[in-house]
Amino acid sequence: MPSTGTPSPTAGTALSSAVELSAVSFGYGPTPVLRAVSVAVPAGAFVTLLGPSGCGKTTLLKVLAGYISPNSGTIRLHGQDVTATPPERRDVGFVFQNYALFPHLTARGNVAFPLEIRGISKQETRARVEAMLDRVRLSPAEWDRHPRELSGGQQQRVALARALVFDPAVLLLDEPLANLDRSLREQLRDELRRVQRETGTTTVLVTHDQDEAFAVSDYLGVMHAGRVEQFGPPREIYERPVSETVARALGIANLLPGEVVGRRLGTTVMIRPEKFHPGGSLAGRITAVRFHGADVLADVVGENFNLTWRTRTAPLPAVGEIVSLGVDPADVWELPDS
Amino acid sequence: MNRLATLPAVALAVGVTAAPLLFLLRVSLYESGGPRGFYTPDTVTLSHYAALAEAPILFTVAFALAVAVASTLFGLALAAFVESLTPGRQWLAIGLLLAPKLAGALTTVFGLQRLLPRGTVAALIAEVTFVLPYAVLVIALRLRGIPPDLRSAARGLGATRRHVFRRVTLPLAAPAVLLAFQLSLAWGLGAFVGPLFLAGPGESTLGTQIQSHTAELRWPVAAAEGVLLLLLTAMVFALPRRRGHE
Repeated sequence: MPSTGTPSPTAGTALSSAVELSAVSFGYGPTPVLRAVSVAVPAGAFVTLLGPSGCGKTTLLKVLAGYISPNSGTIRLHGQDVTATPPERRDVGFVFQNYALFPHLTARGNVAFPLEIRGISKQETRARVEAMLDRVRLSPAEWDRHPRELSGGQQQRVALARALVFDPAVLLLDEPLANLDRSLREQLRDELRRVQRETGTTTVLVTHDQDEAFAVSDYLGVMHAGRVEQFGPPREIYERPVSETVARALGIANLLPGEVVGRRLGTTVMIRPEKFHPGGSLAGRITAVRFHGADVLADVVGENFNLTWRTRTAPLPAVGEIVSLGVDPADVWELPDS
Repeated sequence: MNRLATLPAVALAVGVTAAPLLFLLRVSLYESGGPRGFYTPDTVTLSHYAALAEAPILFTVAFALAVAVASTLFGLALAAFVESLTPGRQWLAIGLLLAPKLAGALTTVFGLQRLLPRGTVAALIAEVTFVLPYAVLVIALRLRGIPPDLRSAARGLGATRRHVFRRVTLPLAAPAVLLAFQLSLAWGLGAFVGPLFLAGPGESTLGTQIQSHTAELRWPVAAAEGVLLLLLTAMVFALPRRRGHE
């Protein structure tokens, strides 16, 4: 061991990171799809990559699974460099957006597939398949049905069981809930989180749905134009976004011109719509009110600003009304790049 | 639906298929007419069917099975190869496969005559050359219909390329493979050009037998053999059909 030299700053994180991407770039021809993406996912964490379609999030997931080889950069799983490892030797469970269940096999057969490939005995395979189908709460009546006889939600459970049954190092989910209707989506989202907690599998989910991202994630990566713009706990990203893009990716963001006392230049501050309260110096007229059930969103136009205010305190605002709003200084976030 | 609109199709089916078949059946039940006609009226007999015991049924069936097995196996291998190519090259490969068809059966046969000694093997190769494009097309079309995600999913679950082929691609392509086998078998039963020009002396199939009987103007004998050939072919398509998995 060399006794001199500074310790590598990544040495510590490499040990605790289940997934580590360093400067991963990928593109078809001249158009870059991923631009030097670096992400470290702690072991056992549930990470969501959030971004609009075309931002490169699915490509990033396929790079992780080994379906796409990056043009440059390295991928480590549990400290091991797998950049050149083919998908079948990566030990990664992947749930496709359309589930990609084998149509010629039953639910049981689909889940048994990865175990049979690994030459695991019949009895053990049977036991593990049944335990996993139980865990994802597919009722035993469905176990011997083919995918075409199962509903979308049931197919999703089978796909999840198949991706977890061989105890992979990492679970990757490509918009797994996108093809389901809303109520089922919310139910399966919670179940996904429960199963992930029970198995402790490091998980990376890709979605364009911010509610989904908030509901399940320990960490959130906001993607835009082939980059991970910000990575961190959801609340931190929601309250302290690094850019306007990130601020807008996570719900409504009021971007208002600001002035910092003691500094000459103006700045842009972000205030979330629920942070305003009646009684303050921001006076404006309400131009639109949208009812959302639990609360209402009101558009307020002032002398030199437009903002959206989320409120549920009675009396609810009405169009044409003049309001004066205030905000706690702690709820005002100055965008670093403004 | 408009019944009148189906009339041309019905007329075609009756005129081109059913009527000649009925005539064939009728001719097979009479004594030969010699040079005067297809048959001699008022001489109903089953003797031509009794004589079928002498017909080369076993050789024809064995030959057809060999054609079918070879075409299906090569067809599967070639279809898998075509499927692995980029789309542009897929068309090139299919064009090359169809080249013998475009050149015509006789060109192929004369070419093979130069290359191979006469015998069963040469006849077999000729017939496989004729059927192979159909087998490849039938299987390749099915392979194209298998979503690529299924193969990716299988690999992600730990399957090597060989595993993927055996456990995903092949079971999903099974209905097409069976259809390719049936088509090749039906074609092989009617094998005529290959055996006629390339088979060894004394090797004849029902097809070549029919040809030589018509050349001798023994129409009823040829007709009885024709009926037998039709029955054999019909049996091939009566084999159980496998449904797809969609």
